[in-house]
Amino acid sequence: MWRQVVTPLLCPLFLLFCQSAAAQKLVEMEEVEVNSTHRLKDTGLQQTVLDTTVLHQNVSQSLADILTKHTTLFIKSYGRATESTAEFRGTSPSHTQVTWSGMKINSPMLGTVDLSYIPGYFVDEVTLLHGASSLTAVGGGLGGAIEMRTRPITTEGWGLQYVQGIGSFSTYDQFLRLNYANKHWSSSTRLMYSSSKNNFRYTNYDKMVDLRDEEGNIISSYHPKERNKSGYFHDVNAMQDLHYNDGRGNTVSAAIWYSYSLRGLPFLSVDYKDVNDFTNEHQQNSLNSALSWSHTGSNWSSELKAGYTFQDIAYDYFTTREEVNTDITHSRSKANTGFMQAGADYMPRENWLLTATLAMYYNHVRSWDRSPFHIGDNFNLGRMEYNLSLSAKWRPVERLSLSAILREEVYKRDFVPLVPAIFADYVLYKPWNLKLKASIARNYRYPTMSDLYFQPGGNPDLQPERGFSYDGGVEMQIRKPRYSLHINASAFDSHITDWILWTPNAKGYWQPSNVKKVHNYGLEAEAEAEIMMGKEWSLLLRGNYAYTPSINKGRKTNSNDASYGKQLCYVPKTSANVSATLKWRSWSVAYTWTHYSERYTTTSNEPDYITGRLKPYYMSDVTLEKQFQWRVLHASIKGAINNLLNTEYVTVLSHPMAGRNFEILVELTPQWGRK
Amino acid sequence: MTLKGSLPNICAALALLGLAACSSYDGSEEAVFLEEGQGVFVLCEGNYQSGNASLSYYDPETRTVENGVFRRANDRKLGDTGQAIVLSEGVAYITVENSGIIWGMDAETFRVRGQLTTGDTEHMTNPRYMLPVSQTKAYVTDLYAPYITIFNPQTYAYIGSIPTGQPTAYGYSSTEQLVQWGKYVFANCWCYSRSILVIDTEKDAVCDSITLSSWQPKRMVLDSRGKLWVITDGGYGTEHETFQNDVPHLYRIDAETWVIEDDWEMDTDEASVELALDATGSYLYILNNDIYRMGITESHPPVRPFIGAPTDEDGTRHKLYGIGVDPHNGDIYVGDAVDYMQSGTVYRYTAEGSLTDSFRVGINPNGFAFK
Repeated sequence: MWRQVVTPLLCPLFLLFCQSAAAQKLVEMEEVEVNSTHRLKDTGLQQTVLDTTVLHQNVSQSLADILTKHTTLFIKSYGRATESTAEFRGTSPSHTQVTWSGMKINSPMLGTVDLSYIPGYFVDEVTLLHGASSLTAVGGGLGGAIEMRTRPITTEGWGLQYVQGIGSFSTYDQFLRLNYANKHWSSSTRLMYSSSKNNFRYTNYDKMVDLRDEEGNIISSYHPKERNKSGYFHDVNAMQDLHYNDGRGNTVSAAIWYSYSLRGLPFLSVDYKDVNDFTNEHQQNSLNSALSWSHTGSNWSSELKAGYTFQDIAYDYFTTREEVNTDITHSRSKANTGFMQAGADYMPRENWLLTATLAMYYNHVRSWDRSPFHIGDNFNLGRMEYNLSLSAKWRPVERLSLSAILREEVYKRDFVPLVPAIFADYVLYKPWNLKLKASIARNYRYPTMSDLYFQPGGNPDLQPERGFSYDGGVEMQIRKPRYSLHINASAFDSHITDWILWTPNAKGYWQPSNVKKVHNYGLEAEAEAEIMMGKEWSLLLRGNYAYTPSINKGRKTNSNDASYGKQLCYVPKTSANVSATLKWRSWSVAYTWTHYSERYTTTSNEPDYITGRLKPYYMSDVTLEKQFQWRVLHASIKGAINNLLNTEYVTVLSHPMAGRNFEILVELTPQWGRK
Repeated sequence: MTLKGSLPNICAALALLGLAACSSYDGSEEAVFLEEGQGVFVLCEGNYQSGNASLSYYDPETRTVENGVFRRANDRKLGDTGQAIVLSEGVAYITVENSGIIWGMDAETFRVRGQLTTGDTEHMTNPRYMLPVSQTKAYVTDLYAPYITIFNPQTYAYIGSIPTGQPTAYGYSSTEQLVQWGKYVFANCWCYSRSILVIDTEKDAVCDSITLSSWQPKRMVLDSRGKLWVITDGGYGTEHETFQNDVPHLYRIDAETWVIEDDWEMDTDEASVELALDATGSYLYILNNDIYRMGITESHPPVRPFIGAPTDEDGTRHKLYGIGVDPHNGDIYVGDAVDYMQSGTVYRYTAEGSLTDSFRVGINPNGFAFK
């Protein structure tokens, strides 16, 4: 245990030592206060912004990997390049709404987004809206919302970037980006191909190999070393985004993003089948496209958006042995979503901001499967969804800002009750931008199409999940020439009732019902400090911490139910991460430490149940990078060691994870064509 | 500070990091058991894709229970989706469907004696039920493969496979439970089928089949008079798709002549019933929310339950999941899966239907074996 505790302390201690030594040689500079703007639009928001310095650190990282290492979110991952979903504040993945270019991209079937499919290099900015703050962007985010955006290129001229990654387990990542920008136009084309055998070796503690004597008696046993079976993947992504700015307040943006993925589904650690006899494979084609126009006037702005997403998913599990083909499961689903949104901001006075947004989605899903329990259409239906949001933000005095939001949502012909939210913040100490923030909100998440219509099991009588939350927090930001510091901390309290839960029924398939009442509460804190320790040294420290009890307060299934008052399955009570990047001239070394507390696998949290809990998770990653800058070419080479301490761990029962592994990343950025 | 000046610090830090390396699982100690008397094994299915099936052992004399005995005795997991357990010659054979394995476990020490995996066979995919046909031959049914696997239960050596020959419906040709009458073994075919296969154990071949009027025969037992009791689930009916009429039937079939003697249409919600026989093979127990008892000579299924499902003060009725009857004294054991995601509870009743004990076991208790 001391190892896990000592390890995260080592890095900061080491870095502090460096800092104190370097501080003696600090170049004395005149202090200049650089206060950030206290934006009326951000009144009371609990948000975390990730930019390209975090998102574009490593070409092999998905958005799931990045959020694990740099935010307070809990990412439930079934393994490398397998399903990874995000949970805010101890809620479920379907309580996290995800938008891309302003359009909600949660699966209309499942209500979730698999973040393992989103390469970090395909996103330029991510904003996490915690709790009630999500209502400023989208409804239904009982835990929160993730907003993803691409940004116009700011450097005029042509730009080319190529990144090649080579890693353990025959992993290859290729990324190419071609940019062009001038005064009015910005174009960015991104292509990426990632592939891996992903056949890492691990000690399988769930199995034992017995050595026997001639009479069949066991003389010794050992846990075998095995390879991750059927974990291969091939991911292709292509994105084109265009931005046009006429210089008179009009902006037009268009983006289209196609991805194809072929992934094997890794075998469980308790599976004794021969991987050569079975095919267990997931294929996905998806297309996201968005078009927007906005106009900014002197005291108003308006925006029109349209979008279309398509997702085609195929899952096949079968075996061919001795030339006999045996089906196990096949499923297909095609989801089409059309989207339109109109919105306007109006500032009648400097201290007032009024906003109205109307969004419409049309989802059509056809889902079909073949299994021992069902053959044929699961459902083949369309559904309209409307969201109307009105908000008023007011700054009655210089230090105080207030905001109110009213949101109404309609799915098919069902109206969700009116969603109100109130936000406030107060600037306590201007030099530090020290703000107190608070919010109170009601929220609803209406059932997904699978919840209502999936056959067998769908329940057309489901009611929307209801949430009620309070937030209070403090934020401060100091920017000095030699250092900057940003701290954001909040406490929250949230109640969710009519939680939709799928449970097996007597016929062998699963059915959803409104059963649970959950109390989420806790603390979230994030801090970032950047220290210029001299002309050639700099240190960037980031840290996140979350304490998220998520307690079942629902009606007991029966008197034997021991889940009342217990933490929800697979939700850690605490999570934390620390990263430190030390730069010297063109060198940089970065260390990241990530931690999740133990997670229970039973609703009753029985610690003595033999597979009832997953041990606390501690992860260390380190990178070393050297940059080169020649007149015609900028280049960098980076070496990464993931799982530095070779920790053996799982995040979901019986799904093994990779031990220590290595990557080398080379980035080339020709300088021709740049202005 | 320069990089050169920092190097010693970096080296020292990396050395300390190295010391902190290699946190790993704790190897668990193998527990020693020796349970020589009568006892009840409770197989707990666990959750699909979680690999948390487990085995509990209950001593009816002392009324004590040991949970997770397979893992504790053998330092390995039982697997994913524990399907069935059968005792023969002092060995408990446990089929673990989604792991593709059949364990042979000593019924007294709980130590593994041997195993048969899909890789050892030609066709086995997801084993469902096992029947020891003789001391050296056992049959195993399969959810997907159109074969019944034969292996030696003493040596765990694969012997061969019996092609079921049943028409494949929608790509499936499953076999479920097995019962033996003389030299014949009967296997019900659940998945998109209405057949009961008849297997000649001398030839290890399907020699005939019985076709039912209702689809998807799900459970099957053989009483003391040589009557085969079979219940179907009738297929399924959903809003968009229907396979057959979703009406379950209960059949009584003569095992000697293979003639269907009785056919009762049941209510739709009775599709998930479990069947069990008492120690003498004279009473049929039907688990259908409540527990019904039917004499094997009676002319129709009972209307009133023999034992009502446990009911809480607020009127909540417990959903019962599995049933077993102790052949030594006729005690009835039923499992309560609670919310399917926590330890289940087993209720023990006397043969007369009085509750005598209840105890916690693993997740989703679905099978019982009595030694």
